[in-house]
Amino acid sequence: MTEAYSVLYISALVIIGALLLACLVRAIRGPRIADRVIAVNMMGTLVVIAICILSFLMGEGWLTDIAMIYTMLSFLAVVLLTKVYMGIYREKRRQRELAQEKEGNGHA
Amino acid sequence: MLDVIRFILSAALTATGLFCLLSGVVGVYRFRYALNRVHAAALIDTVGILLMLLGVIIATGFTVASGKMLVVIAFLWLTSPVSGHLIGRMEVTINDELEKDAEVMNRAYVQHEKTVETSGSADAAEPAEAEENMEKEEKEEAHE
Repeated sequence: MTEAYSVLYISALVIIGALLLACLVRAIRGPRIADRVIAVNMMGTLVVIAICILSFLMGEGWLTDIAMIYTMLSFLAVVLLTKVYMGIYREKRRQRELAQEKEGNGHA
Repeated sequence: MLDVIRFILSAALTATGLFCLLSGVVGVYRFRYALNRVHAAALIDTVGILLMLLGVIIATGFTVASGKMLVVIAFLWLTSPVSGHLIGRMEVTINDELEKDAEVMNRAYVQHEKTVETSGSADAAEPAEAEENMEKEEKEEAHE
């Protein structure tokens, strides 16, 4: 029975590894920033699944703690990245508007 | 006998979960725009992880580790909608040519997202500075 489980879950791990590579390619290629954030989020979820499967295969219960922490960190990463990029965009936009106002006054 | 049933159940859940993961990744490759890709990525965060971890929980049995896996599922189900919403909001905010890529229903909201003030201290200082500069320029022009 143990062998059957290990065959099942090791093949599942191989497939998850291939999917992780595909996500990495999307994160590198993705034309927009949102594509990259989505791909990184997906990779986090896949890694959590892989860690849980490993915790069953190796019989180590503490690996699930790491999976919990990994979930929280991947959520935190998404929140931070989106907030930072929105802040950068708004800052740039405000500076551009200020520069345009100055130009307009100069011509008048 | 019971072991065999447990293995079959776990294998079925794992196979279905792997199918969901695969269709999520294929969807991320086939959709053309980031806001559509959020839809495919949400499949992995909800159904994919639920089925895969349920398979592992059934294989492990009733232990502390399987309880922690249930906590992981609950946390991901709570946070995945939030992260999807944040990614969509970021895309709407930073895309200057949104009308080319997607249909915009509420232009006022997009404009509000683009221009809303983020934080207090730095914002308050700069407009005053700009006004001072403008006054200086006006004086110089008058002098000439």
